[in-house]
Amino acid sequence: MKFFRQTHVYDEPFPTVTLAFFLRYPNPYASHIASVDVIDRTFTERGTLVTTRLILKRGSLPRWAPKGILGPRTETWVIEESEVDPSRGATQVRTRNLDHVKIMKVVEYAHLRPHPDDPTRTLHETTATIHSNFSRLLQNRIEKFGLNKFRQNVEKSRYGFSMVLRALRSHRLQVL
Amino acid sequence: MAHSLKPECTPLKHKYDACFNAWFEGYLQPLSAPALAGGAAAKPLTQEAREAAQRGKREEYERTCGKVWEAYRGCLSGALTEKRLDDLLQQAREENPMLEPESPESARQR
Repeated sequence: MKFFRQTHVYDEPFPTVTLAFFLRYPNPYASHIASVDVIDRTFTERGTLVTTRLILKRGSLPRWAPKGILGPRTETWVIEESEVDPSRGATQVRTRNLDHVKIMKVVEYAHLRPHPDDPTRTLHETTATIHSNFSRLLQNRIEKFGLNKFRQNVEKSRYGFSMVLRALRSHRLQVL
Repeated sequence: MAHSLKPECTPLKHKYDACFNAWFEGYLQPLSAPALAGGAAAKPLTQEAREAAQRGKREEYERTCGKVWEAYRGCLSGALTEKRLDDLLQQAREENPMLEPESPESARQR
């Protein structure tokens, strides 16, 4: 099992960052996203919004998995479960792969909340666990692969996310 | 907006996403009592007023996006079974039902 942890600060307030989170696909840095569907959406008693999205990612596996393990399949289904609490200012998201879990299981947690020292900014805490159950011999290698890949992907998705945030800002300016 | 996993559903999905996004922007705004004319600062709401405002938001969502949501869901139904995603989703839910991150410490103890 490998762990990843990172905190990022956005210069936008919590509502804008949460909106951008739901709007982040498509963007030019996420060409591997083949489809995004909302499969479930409900309100809780407390008035929070719970959403389950199903995302199909293409071509992202062979780069981390040793050759020959996956065969011709280069797709993976990802489930994203989120809860948005606007009154408390908290968005929690858990994302994990649904298939190929024996080779590698990646679970990512994202927590968005207003910056405690400056509510006009937003904290984005990312935690992830990477776990392989494939074979004793390959486990560590696969997990290291996965961790490196995950780190690169966080970097890349940050660019995409910033683009969406910029687009939201200019859209707001046009509306005003 | 991204495509749907079932290409025929993409137009409905886009329609639903557009409806949701417009509503969501308002849902995310912090609830506060309307500021008085003259620019007085907004006051925090009482528990009751907040609950009423949340109910209002929920009703607005159901009124504006409820129909297109049902249509989009209807279009998708069957596609999950067809792609054998039902089982995967079920397994995933049983495996790990909590929405809290696991800490490195707790994982090591197992």
